[in-house]
Amino acid sequence: MKRIEVKLALPVVAPLLDVVKEMADGLRGSLAAPLGLTDLDAEFSAAWTDELLAAQKVDLQALLGLFGDEFFAEGVVAFDGENAEPIVRATAALRLRLRERFLGGLGDEALESGNVELDQLPEPTRKAFMCYLFLATIQELIIQHLDSSILGT
Amino acid sequence: MTRSETKTQVVPSRQTDEELALAGQWRVVVLNDPVNLMSYVVLVFKKVFGFDDQTARRHMLEVHERGRSVVWRGLREKAEAYAFTLQQWHLTTVLEADEAH
Repeated sequence: MKRIEVKLALPVVAPLLDVVKEMADGLRGSLAAPLGLTDLDAEFSAAWTDELLAAQKVDLQALLGLFGDEFFAEGVVAFDGENAEPIVRATAALRLRLRERFLGGLGDEALESGNVELDQLPEPTRKAFMCYLFLATIQELIIQHLDSSILGT
Repeated sequence: MTRSETKTQVVPSRQTDEELALAGQWRVVVLNDPVNLMSYVVLVFKKVFGFDDQTARRHMLEVHERGRSVVWRGLREKAEAYAFTLQQWHLTTVLEADEAH
């Protein structure tokens, strides 16, 4: 099985994990992206939401599972065919939630371009934006380095 | 099992507006968001719809530049299944009745 290991800067990443965990906790009871289908009947909509929440939870657990003992001992995280897809989805969910909770004030253009003056942001927003960039980096790493056989494209 | 001798009387059924709408063609539309990476959206389109790289990129750019892209057309049931899968990947998706069909 193809696997990539990435060594992360522990002092940089560890403080961001509190934000990751907080956002993941918040996603236990609500979807990262709003349900776009408004014409479903109530029962079907509720069943659909429950199933999506369950899948979202599994994805987030895969992401949080990266930051176990090995990470705190050596700063290493590993991606493979089993965890790649759930982690890619989980990073998307967390980034959407970060925008909703902390980064809405930055404006869509700044978020898309990443052109943000970090030094000028208040601390909670700065940390959230660092986390937002970190999750994008994980997502890009997986998309670029795990080939189509693993991601199934 | 025996065959019934009585003829079944055919009663014209009245389809409701809802039934007619559900039987028609529907569009799966992905809306832009400022969060998801272009590479991610391309990956999702390839995975979910089996698009080749060029087609996936074309739809991604359409979402990015025009705010929306129609990624699939067809019956409501399958459109819902696609919308569900896209929602699992956190892309904002709506279904629209395809009036042209």
